[in-house]
Amino acid sequence: MSLHRYELGFLLIILNIYSLGLIDAVNVTASDSAANPLQAPSYQSHSSSAVYKPAVDSSYSINLLSSFPEDVEISEYCSEMLRLFGQRYVAYVNCLIPAARPVRVCQNCSPGYKSLSDVFLNISSDQMGPGNVSCRDSILRSDRLMLVFLLYGNLDTIWEKSNCKQCVTTDLKGPNNDTLYYLTLLNQTITCFEKYKEGNHTELCKSCTLPYKDLNDMYSGMEKNSTLCIDLEDSMNMTRKLWSKNFGCSYPHGETIPVIAVSSFMLFLPIIFYLSSFLHSEQKKRKLIHPKRAKSHNSLMNIQDKQS
Amino acid sequence: MANITKKVSWSSRGDESGAAGEETPLLNGSEQSRPLRQQDSARGRPKEIPHNEKLLSLKFESLDYDNIENQLFLEEERRMSFVAFRCLEISRWVICGLIGFLTGLIACFIDIAVEQLAGLKYRLIKENIVKFTEAGGLSISLLLWVALNSFCVMWGSIIVAFIEPIAAGSGIPQIKCFLNGVKVPRVVRLKTLVVKVVGVIFSVVGGLAVGKEGPMIHSGAVLAAGVSQGRSTSLKKDFKIFEYFRRDTEKRDFVSAGAAAGVSAAFGAPVGGVLFSLEEGASFWNQMLTWRIFFASMISTFTLNFFLSIYHNKPGELSNPGLINFGRFESEAMEYNLYEIPLFIAMGAIGGGLGAFFNFLNYWLTIFRIRYVHRPCLQVMEAMLVAAVTATVAFIMIYFSTDCQPLGPDHTEEYPLQLFCADGEYNSMATAFFNTPERSVRSLFHNPTGTYNSLTLGLFTLTYFFLACWTYGLAVSAGVFIPSLLIGAAWGRLCGILLASTTSTASMWADPGKYALIGAAAQLGGIVRMTLSLTVIMVEATGNVTYGLPIMLVLMTAKIVGDYFQEGLYDLHIKLGSVPFLHWEAPATSHWLTAREVMSSPVTCLNRIEKVGTIVDTLSNTSTNHNGFPVVVQVSGDDEPAKLCGLILRSQLIVLLKHKVFVELARSRLTQRKLQLKDFRDAYPRFPPIQSIHVSQDERECMMDLTEFMNPTPYTVPQDTSLPRVFKLFRALGLRHLVVVDDDNRVVGLVTRKDLARYHVGKHGLEELHLAQT
Repeated sequence: MSLHRYELGFLLIILNIYSLGLIDAVNVTASDSAANPLQAPSYQSHSSSAVYKPAVDSSYSINLLSSFPEDVEISEYCSEMLRLFGQRYVAYVNCLIPAARPVRVCQNCSPGYKSLSDVFLNISSDQMGPGNVSCRDSILRSDRLMLVFLLYGNLDTIWEKSNCKQCVTTDLKGPNNDTLYYLTLLNQTITCFEKYKEGNHTELCKSCTLPYKDLNDMYSGMEKNSTLCIDLEDSMNMTRKLWSKNFGCSYPHGETIPVIAVSSFMLFLPIIFYLSSFLHSEQKKRKLIHPKRAKSHNSLMNIQDKQS
Repeated sequence: MANITKKVSWSSRGDESGAAGEETPLLNGSEQSRPLRQQDSARGRPKEIPHNEKLLSLKFESLDYDNIENQLFLEEERRMSFVAFRCLEISRWVICGLIGFLTGLIACFIDIAVEQLAGLKYRLIKENIVKFTEAGGLSISLLLWVALNSFCVMWGSIIVAFIEPIAAGSGIPQIKCFLNGVKVPRVVRLKTLVVKVVGVIFSVVGGLAVGKEGPMIHSGAVLAAGVSQGRSTSLKKDFKIFEYFRRDTEKRDFVSAGAAAGVSAAFGAPVGGVLFSLEEGASFWNQMLTWRIFFASMISTFTLNFFLSIYHNKPGELSNPGLINFGRFESEAMEYNLYEIPLFIAMGAIGGGLGAFFNFLNYWLTIFRIRYVHRPCLQVMEAMLVAAVTATVAFIMIYFSTDCQPLGPDHTEEYPLQLFCADGEYNSMATAFFNTPERSVRSLFHNPTGTYNSLTLGLFTLTYFFLACWTYGLAVSAGVFIPSLLIGAAWGRLCGILLASTTSTASMWADPGKYALIGAAAQLGGIVRMTLSLTVIMVEATGNVTYGLPIMLVLMTAKIVGDYFQEGLYDLHIKLGSVPFLHWEAPATSHWLTAREVMSSPVTCLNRIEKVGTIVDTLSNTSTNHNGFPVVVQVSGDDEPAKLCGLILRSQLIVLLKHKVFVELARSRLTQRKLQLKDFRDAYPRFPPIQSIHVSQDERECMMDLTEFMNPTPYTVPQDTSLPRVFKLFRALGLRHLVVVDDDNRVVGLVTRKDLARYHVGKHGLEELHLAQT
């Protein structure tokens, strides 16, 4: 029975992670479903709907199903791994969501990803654990759904997309040197913005040009080496928006007159060219040549007759 | 009939004033001009008129497609074993493979060179603009841009104008003429190829509104003509291979393969290439030739793919074909629905109208250029001016554009210009102008919705339309495909955006890229008026067969609408080049014309055993630059007129004179080597002029026996054959001379290409073109 409850609870976790992603993973059992009244009823309403009724009515059969012989069931070690995976999974998701806006996923959650991927690596490796068992087949490949694999795949995509690997140290413990330097520059710029925000913006544009330019150059350099991650991109985006839109420090549309003068001169040249070549160049003439033709007045007359 | 008589009087007035001469109504053509000519020759100079489209130039001659079945030929055929014939067949395949391979290589070279040089240029200008945006003084950047453009175009134009004028333009009209059977002078020479390739690199790098696809087709054709001959006359290098193919007939087949290979390399469209050759060129097709041409074009695409994959550091990846790659149209938003078909057709009509307008403008511009801008230095100056103005216009557009877009995550823009945009954004006009045209086309097709706003697109269409129209016809080597696609893609995308904004359910019309594609097809179809091959090329270039139907409908509509106003651009330029081009059919309502009216007469004939002096004099006569001479034989007494027994060509006579094949010499020197077909082939294709052959006074008295060398069975027609019938013979058999004989097989006239090509249907019915010296 406990095994059944465990399974049910785990299923619920999955559901919750999908919908909310905000569950405390440690309280796996009944308290969990109680803590989330929104979820549990929805599950039950599903099960109590007419279509699924027969299936759920035989909830005992699930119970029966769970008592497979020892050798088909997953081992103690593997279920432990599974539990660990669940814990870390929830922890990582918990970390990610608050870091969504403004984006801080790399700075805050890289260690979480590290521990999650460690467990997954353990599960998916084909090395034998204690008791000579490999969890890869029993957990990852036993069914059509391959739930664990799917779950991990989702988070892995997020990790890849965020490009966090570029901003953190190789052991994923914290930001690397480039990132740290960038962050100091960013802080300088933001402080400068804060300092001059109140007064005239022209003064801000003048005074903060230096730190902003440093920051911009640093960013451009990293962009070229493609060592950017989503955190840095987002922060730079916000800073640029502040700089250009809020404070209006973009380059002015200055000195239009020389441009107009030069271009109208350029546009004027062809007119002169064509006029002068029309007036001064000798028109090319073609000599007409008269081909030899048969003298056939008669036939022409005939044709004229035929035509009319 | 009344109509014609009215025109007679009008025409004579026109001739008096010298203003017209544009058209001579058919019936009075020979009668009216006769007194005029006497008048002119009395004054000692021929009549001169300004250049116009209703002329036929004397400098164009026909190719000799007809096989000369003389005795030498029969002997050679007897000597050749069955195995030798099999070897010939195999070497045809080898040559086609070589053509494909080399064409692919050339395409690869052009592509890489353009990418590198254009990259260099744009980086330089971009750095400069960035520097001066900050410091002020952008007019200096403008000057730099103008100077760089003009500099590149200057070199491109100098080599074309001073070294090889035939390499100007896209080269498609010239190849069309060649495949039609016109020997366009110097069109398939090595020098032309070099000028073409280098010229196109310069003009694309120089930022003109041009593409590199048309010149690819010409390059393929030149390569084919060169490779199949196994030697280069320009380099004076003879590899002693493929000697059998040194004839116009064989060369033409290979040239059509080369043109196909060129198309296929340019667009990544092997089938489109084959169909291009079919549609534009060869009138003589058989299944084996088609299959060989297809082989050549496949090889060419995949050679290009292979080498480009190495260049892009992905060796062996063969799925990125073509110089211009439209990218893949496979996403769901690119699907179309039944209710969109009428819209597509409407866009086709717009494309046809715009195309006709483009051609109309270009027509007058070209006439002006032929009349007034004919000196090479003027042509170079004009090209430089166009380059400068193109840069200036682009700069102004970018400078005053306020359309700023955020930089995408994956930066499809190669050289994003920020200018006065906020940081992290780029100027959207710059993606269209500050880029090679190929890339602009691709970004118009594939950039996500909202990359361009409608004002940007409208302005871009407008300016680029006039720039492209102005550019085509300059003395630079450049094609019109890409500019047309670009104009069309811009207004097509504009249509897409407008559609999306008019309807509330915007998701239905979500993707403007689809409309950009349709617009591009419509515009291109409206300008060049190709049908079948263009459809297939577009479908192949997009890589999506389901677009076949809309593209076909669009091209059909564009052609119908465009033809109502004006001819296609290539046909227009062929006409303006005064080329005696034979269309598929004789002009309508010409059945009442007979060979008697069409032919030239009297004919210069030669006797079967002719005095050398007579031959030399006939050939040296500059006023009658004839190429074929009917050979006649006296049957009986002197008073009986001679009967036709064969036809001999100028080139053959020259070879005979050069080798001094005289009856007297043959008698005295019994051991003299007999002339073989090989001797004629060695002189091909540049037979020496008659002036370079020295014939002594004694030799002039010798006799020449033409029996062995003449074509003993030339095609003949009776005098009353109708024009369409003569035309059909000419077109289908690829004839060069058609002898008109009377009932007793006596020569009364000779029909050549120019005699047939001068009839065409104009505004007032059937009209006749003038022959002119150009």
